Amino acid sequence: MRSTIPLVLTFLVGIFMVGEYFIPHWRYHQWTAVLLEWGLILAAAAFLLGLFNLVQVNLPKVMNKEEDWGYKLVMLVSLVGTLVVGFMGNTDRLSDGQAYKWLFDFVFVPLNATMFALLAFYIASAAFRAFRARNLEATVLLVAAIIVMIARVPMGEDLPLIGEKLPQFMNWIMDVPNIAARRAIFIGAALGAVATGLRVILGIERSHLGAD
Amino acid sequence: MKLDTLIKFQNMDRRWIFLGMGIAILLPLLFPITLSFNIDERVQSLYDSVEEVPAGSTVFISADFDPASRPELEPFFRANLHHLLRKDVKFVAATLWPSSPPLVMPIFEEITAEYGKEYGKDWCFLGFKDGKELAIKAIGENIPETFPTDIKGNKIADLAVARSFKQAKDFAMIINVSAGFPGTREYVLQIQGQYDLKIASATTAVSGPDYIPFYKAGQLTGLSAGMPGSAQYEQLVFPDGPREGERLMATQAVNVLNVGHLFIIVLILLGNIAFFVTRRVEEAAP
Amino acid sequence: MKQLLSWMALLALLVALPASAATVTVEVPPDNDGLNLNVVWDEATDPLGWAVLRADGASGEDWTVLKMLPGNARKLSDKVTTNVWEHPPQDTYRYQVVAMRSLVLVDEMEEADRTAAVLAAGTASAIATGSPSAAWIRTGIGAKQYGPLVMLLIILAVGVMMWKFANDVRAGKPVFIRRIPGIDAIEEGIGRATEMGQPILYVPGIDELQDIQTIASMLILGQVAEKVAEYQADIIVSCCIPMVREVADEVVKAGFYQAGFPDAYNPRNTRFISSEQFAFCAGTNGIIYREKPATNIYLGRFFAESLILAETGFVNKSIQIAGTAEATQLPFFIAACDYTLIGEELFAVGAYMSRDPRLVSSLKASDWVKLFVVISLLLGTVLTTLGFPIVNNLFAISGG
Repeated sequence: MRSTIPLVLTFLVGIFMVGEYFIPHWRYHQWTAVLLEWGLILAAAAFLLGLFNLVQVNLPKVMNKEEDWGYKLVMLVSLVGTLVVGFMGNTDRLSDGQAYKWLFDFVFVPLNATMFALLAFYIASAAFRAFRARNLEATVLLVAAIIVMIARVPMGEDLPLIGEKLPQFMNWIMDVPNIAARRAIFIGAALGAVATGLRVILGIERSHLGAD
Repeated sequence: MKLDTLIKFQNMDRRWIFLGMGIAILLPLLFPITLSFNIDERVQSLYDSVEEVPAGSTVFISADFDPASRPELEPFFRANLHHLLRKDVKFVAATLWPSSPPLVMPIFEEITAEYGKEYGKDWCFLGFKDGKELAIKAIGENIPETFPTDIKGNKIADLAVARSFKQAKDFAMIINVSAGFPGTREYVLQIQGQYDLKIASATTAVSGPDYIPFYKAGQLTGLSAGMPGSAQYEQLVFPDGPREGERLMATQAVNVLNVGHLFIIVLILLGNIAFFVTRRVEEAAP
Repeated sequence: MKQLLSWMALLALLVALPASAATVTVEVPPDNDGLNLNVVWDEATDPLGWAVLRADGASGEDWTVLKMLPGNARKLSDKVTTNVWEHPPQDTYRYQVVAMRSLVLVDEMEEADRTAAVLAAGTASAIATGSPSAAWIRTGIGAKQYGPLVMLLIILAVGVMMWKFANDVRAGKPVFIRRIPGIDAIEEGIGRATEMGQPILYVPGIDELQDIQTIASMLILGQVAEKVAEYQADIIVSCCIPMVREVADEVVKAGFYQAGFPDAYNPRNTRFISSEQFAFCAGTNGIIYREKPATNIYLGRFFAESLILAETGFVNKSIQIAGTAEATQLPFFIAACDYTLIGEELFAVGAYMSRDPRLVSSLKASDWVKLFVVISLLLGTVLTTLGFPIVNNLFAISGG
């Protein structure tokens, strides 16, 4: 029973939502829109569960002073602090002078930008490691990467002999093999997604339902 | 050069690479250089499609970026606002990213004030809408229901600039400044074909290649990718250079990007040279 | 002077003459949801602008200004209602198109004054009537674009083939699945983690539960959790979305139960970090640095955090297996991870690992459809080049 009801529900709702594309009638879409709204409401409610999980996992570690408990304490204090400040600010919380805005501008924005900026360094180290001409495929990858990178740099056009042709090579690489490969991945993934979706809707895959 | 040194070089501690990259980025910031660049056809097409919007029309701007993608997309965003406002084009803006409103609202207020534009009459910001693809679908179908009020709590029916627009197709064009998901792909897949919308996109450099097929298929009227795209668009919008007291951020920053690129290219080439020499020596050894 | 006066009189006459009234028709778009009508009109010359008016019902006289359009416009697609619950569509709508002689700024007027102002400033056409008509099935036949029909047939074909191949596999017919090293490496990675006494880290991507890649990742997590339980290792699942965390928790618990080790399941190992992308990335990096997993498995939808996670795992000397259909992140995973599953290989993991006939049959079915797509692409390219876009029309999808 515990797994039968979810399976039946999954099948009925799944078929109903797949039908949304093939049945354009507004009366049908009235009810699919309602279901989609319910999905959004459930997702919003799950945020509360996430909040509880954060506290449930980290608070005992702080209480028992387990390893790195200090970082967990900082996280919990930030969580509570941001919540309180956000509620206190209400609809004006994004206005200048508000504590919530200050937190956003001087804590969230720099931290977010810093994490993203790490990518510049990580790309350099990953590229240095990965772009070695170990075999034919790696050599093709290396040559294509070098052409695209040099063509993007203004100095590349000043190179003797090949400088003028480089943008054409780069555009060809980006427009032909790059797009062909992306389209192939996209089509293959879409078909895989259809098969996975059908498996879930028809109840063939059940591992997402949990333990019996 | 000794074999040991070459092997050490290939396996060096990545912190040396980070240091080199740091220096490569820092030097052009401390000692600015100016490198010229060409305008990409896709960026030109984007500029032209905005140029074609008649004065007095209204466009829909979806500002979907966050602090992380600010360096790449904010320059485009600012230049685009200047482009629209000096042509007397009105706009209705919204966002699908929760961290976007505090970023974009000050920029809207700053730039519209320069042109003497009035909130509610010449522009408005509808705020953030959760739901990702569903929100985009809803924008395609019914804007007043999706955004009953704007970010300041005004009813849509009370905003002269927004009240007569019921669906996305009612706007002259849609400009999507997109840092990822949800963004341009979702706009194209969910509503572009269905309503035959005119959509232009500015996106991060990583996502740019993904949207080239959309541009080639005519689903996007223009595409600006990453900081180079933003710099090129700045050059088109401000052909005579920056206005007094201002900087063209992407145009300046793209020089740093170029030096960074050069550093990576040199690093890769040196790494491969070391790899080949090492392999030759090892193969030749008895 | 006389000549100037006569020219001025002629000019005044021209301005005073009404613009000719256009002929208006109302069309129902094909495969319509019953909420759209196309108002089409013709006129040889462009006036200053057009105003489209609408009155609801067969005899309603309450005309409202729908839209002001430029002089070169000849069509308006009208959505008759935006709230079907409170204002369901009526049976009939009446339209008039007004050729404007002078500009009217309707946005600055009260709604009640707009219609009169527009009618006074232009010449109205005859009234055209239209009735919205909703289609129950989208086939594309009306627009001669058969994409929806073909898509329906493909979905049905996948279903039928899945059933047929599942029967074949149960009957003992051999099925070939090519070797995918990345999937083989999952079990090796679990074994490695057990030997080293370190946990496995599983990251199901950062997208919502309804994304198909996240669903696929959840399905794989169940099998991975079962294997982890059999090997008596630990698995840490780091989630970006709260709903995903709840489902992952159930899935991991089920995996441990299936393996016969319910007591080994630890709910604290399935963690929600943050729904903010880089906060999640930082938190997961923290898990990698502190808990030092021997194997990192990244299966799902990833964005900019992919390289940061993979590089951190590399520094930690973990075995890393990644799989995503997000083409923008594949290069980063390929550069930084030991094994990468590309695109549809992510959706094949479940079938590959379990060899369940029903799962293997779906893999085979999607492969046959892929073959059909490849043949269609080749055939379509050749035929379109020769000037016969038959295949194009077969897959074309018309607007809503």
